[in-house]
Amino acid sequence: MAPIEVDNLTKDYGSVLANDSLTFTVEKGEVFGFLGPNGSGKSTTIRMLLGLLKPTSGTATVLGADIRDEATLIEAKRRIGYLPDQLGFTDEVTGKQVLDYHASMKGDSRRDELLEIFTPPIERPIREYSAGNKRMLGLIQTFMHDPDLVIMDEPTSGLDPLKQEVFNEFISDECERGLTVFLSSHVLSEVRRICDRVGIIRAGELVELEDFETLLGQGGKRVRVHTSDGATESLTALDGVVELSTFPDGVQFIYTGEYNALLGELAKHDVSDIEISEPPLEDVFIHYYGGTGTEGVNRGGDTDV
Amino acid sequence: MFETARYETGRRVRGTVILIVAIGLYSAFIIWYFTVLDGIEFEDVFQDLPPAMLEAFGIESLSTVEGFLGAELYSFVWVLGLGLYFAYAAGGIIATDIENERMDLLLSFPISRSQLLAEKFASLLFPIIVINIFVGSGVYVFVSAIGEAVDPMHLVLVHVLSIPYLLVCGGIGTVFSVMVSRAAIAERGAIGVVFVLFLVESVVGGADEYDWIQYFSPTHYYEPTPILIDGTYELIDSGILLVAFFGLLLLSQILFHRRDI
Repeated sequence: MAPIEVDNLTKDYGSVLANDSLTFTVEKGEVFGFLGPNGSGKSTTIRMLLGLLKPTSGTATVLGADIRDEATLIEAKRRIGYLPDQLGFTDEVTGKQVLDYHASMKGDSRRDELLEIFTPPIERPIREYSAGNKRMLGLIQTFMHDPDLVIMDEPTSGLDPLKQEVFNEFISDECERGLTVFLSSHVLSEVRRICDRVGIIRAGELVELEDFETLLGQGGKRVRVHTSDGATESLTALDGVVELSTFPDGVQFIYTGEYNALLGELAKHDVSDIEISEPPLEDVFIHYYGGTGTEGVNRGGDTDV
Repeated sequence: MFETARYETGRRVRGTVILIVAIGLYSAFIIWYFTVLDGIEFEDVFQDLPPAMLEAFGIESLSTVEGFLGAELYSFVWVLGLGLYFAYAAGGIIATDIENERMDLLLSFPISRSQLLAEKFASLLFPIIVINIFVGSGVYVFVSAIGEAVDPMHLVLVHVLSIPYLLVCGGIGTVFSVMVSRAAIAERGAIGVVFVLFLVESVVGGADEYDWIQYFSPTHYYEPTPILIDGTYELIDSGILLVAFFGLLLLSQILFHRRDI
């Protein structure tokens, strides 16, 4: 049995259809990325997998345990690591006290080793922690009991780029040892770097898994250029420029064409500032699906799912 | 087993110590004040008060140290003050964790919701018991120090019998805590209900026609002044409080088990 099997999983809040008949499987040893814009229903799926929310219909199994059966799910949780999106550690206790408590609940055979990789100041109280330190403490509690399956909601938010690299390396090492990872993200580049396979959720529905390759191949880059000589016209005339917007002395667009052509054109102008980055997932969705990625989910109300 | 209860109890140590010191100082002040009032016929002052008021603050016999303590310390601090405090504290046990999203992590532990709730509530037993022991002993010492005497058996009873009452107040808070997802609302709701029940009992106590209403208030089943003065109490009252407490806890368990986090 695969570590995660999701079968027609649906969560209907009445005003919001947060998950609409999701069906997918996460195989042993893979890193499965669950990608979608903010508010697309990622956290709802994760919270159902952990038994925090009860599905309206359909079900799922994690490590063979049906999520609707509390007793078997509890047994499975001994072998699951979980990193939530919001880390609500109690403020007044120290990082060490948090880890001690977590250890007493589920074990900590790998705590020392993890503390060398991720380095939160565990002698200090949580209220003094930065977002990055909280996230590192969260990662340690996720992995300290040597789980077989790890579920993470936006795992790298708050981590500085160096620690993100450490995290990516750590995950790929763990997966070689047979760990299965299910992580959600709204950052295309993050998912691209560490995931073997990706499911895209949009408006509560799972978009075909195969489509992701196309999405990645043509996702392009977001280019923001300031020029002093009005190069706007010649730049926008290039093939593969979409989502164009101009501002005083510059232009921003998503570029999906040949990089050499872009660089060649840029070299002809006086560029005072330039930024080339991954396009936000929302922009990619707008480009490929013609919507914001969340529209159609809300049937009234502004519920954050 | 009991890891959560241990952890949560640890977080209550500081608050409990502060409460013991505060109530201890107040007790010492009240007992000292009794010596100041000694010899003054101040009971006459209270003659004109409405019976409901006398009933509400357990005012019976202010010229004896037992009567004075019953009114000024136990009716005031135990029935009202600690009743409200434990309703408030229990109001936060689940709702706070849901509000700051800590519940996600807690429920990722291999532990059932019922056990989590039971252990979190169990952490309230620590302040309930420790405050009773320390302040009770303190009162005994203070009273001896001013050369008065209070029957130690009565003093023990007044503290022991307060426990079921405080558990019910905590039970009311727990029901609120599992029903709503915002701590402030759960805490205020629990305080409001306990306070209203306290008022209702005091007000309708004197009116024959509606006196059945008082049976709904936990304060009706714990009256410290008569216990202190002559050791009178009904065991059935404590029984009723305990049944009510287990009922409230069961209701909380069902509500918590069913809800989405």
